[in-house]
Amino acid sequence: MSLATILSSAIFVGCNGGDDKPDDKKDDLVETPDTIKTTQFNFSGELFSVPSPIQTALLIQKSGVTYDKNILLSSSNVNKFSTDYSRSLNLGIYGADLGYVSLYNQTQDALSYLGAVKQLADKLGISAAFDASTMERIQKNVTNKDSMMVLVGIAYRSSDAYLKNNQRSDVSSLVLAGGWIESLYFSVNAFKSKPNEEIKRRIAEQKQTLTSLIKILGMNTGNADVVELTKQLTDLSKVYEGVILKYNFVEPTTDTVKKVTYINSTSDVTITDEQLTQISTKIVEIRNNITNVTKS
Amino acid sequence: MKKLYTVIFIALSGLFINNVNAQCDTIANICTKHIISSYISDGQQYRALLLNSEETAEFRTTFFGETTYRIAACSGTSDGNLIFNIYDQDRHLLFTNKNQKNAPYWDFKVKSTLETIIEGQLDANKNPGSGCAVILIGFKQK
Repeated sequence: MSLATILSSAIFVGCNGGDDKPDDKKDDLVETPDTIKTTQFNFSGELFSVPSPIQTALLIQKSGVTYDKNILLSSSNVNKFSTDYSRSLNLGIYGADLGYVSLYNQTQDALSYLGAVKQLADKLGISAAFDASTMERIQKNVTNKDSMMVLVGIAYRSSDAYLKNNQRSDVSSLVLAGGWIESLYFSVNAFKSKPNEEIKRRIAEQKQTLTSLIKILGMNTGNADVVELTKQLTDLSKVYEGVILKYNFVEPTTDTVKKVTYINSTSDVTITDEQLTQISTKIVEIRNNITNVTKS
Repeated sequence: MKKLYTVIFIALSGLFINNVNAQCDTIANICTKHIISSYISDGQQYRALLLNSEETAEFRTTFFGETTYRIAACSGTSDGNLIFNIYDQDRHLLFTNKNQKNAPYWDFKVKSTLETIIEGQLDANKNPGSGCAVILIGFKQK
């Protein structure tokens, strides 16, 4: 293998996080760069993305569910997480909580959760992931709900890029997992306090994201805690197996002037009350395992 | 001698990785201008190094119903170098910016939740060499 080939390999790894499992397609790419016909690989070394927890929080607020501080993880617990595993997951949870409190214009709580996020990032040694200028803008805009939503999204996007650049995809996947778990936890609690079809549907629609999350976490088989979390999520996915999502393709329409495409496809969801109860029980259990400081 | 090669390899690899990351960071920074402040970022940055225009990179994501998404796709320091395609779960093509003069961003009003595959590819006519491809997603309630 020539030095040039080795360096080509280094370039590829640099753009994909570097800690991904070996992949035949990547090997092809490195070994025979001038004989490639059509090669396909994945953005950021991941085949799946996880929707933002803020999207679910927005839906909950829109459906008229009132602010409930009791469902959040107390920001004062931040010092009690002692492993990188628990810190990474809870960084995702606190990020979702920060989005939730900001959405409900809870300024004081937003500042507390911002502090918790910063502290966890420091302890993980990734404080540079949350760039100072964005954090400063968040602090300055803490009373402006719309700006806060945008800035929290930007902060987490910057941190995602930083973690992948610095070969910390293990941390970034746990942050995503924490955010997703918290958003499903929001949903089941919102449904309990004010049952409605929109939230019920959103809970059911997490089926595919859960499958994606299990695959993302499955790339990190070297950490026993991650393996255990993956097992718990797999148990949850077994409940989801019975949830039916039926997709019906309808031709989209595009407005070239407005630069908009209307995705007209429809989908039907079938989820039973029993399944909802089982999902609720399971997600509470998973979240408790993560946030229970005596175990972390 | 073997040791010397190893040291050179590690040093040069580090330089190349930093260089590529810096290139991707620059492109991502340029690309963020398309996710205007009425859209909330999904908190992730999708990037891949494409070595030629025949390679594609893809990822799967969920588009929730009653939501408007903005997808921004960039490569290089100018707009229009990256082709992006969006497919549904059955690989029906929902959109390609190729038909829209390689528009660097596009909005999608989603009626009902669906699973999508987002694919990126360098445009052979504009960028025959390699390059970092960046895709960003923003959303807002309809």
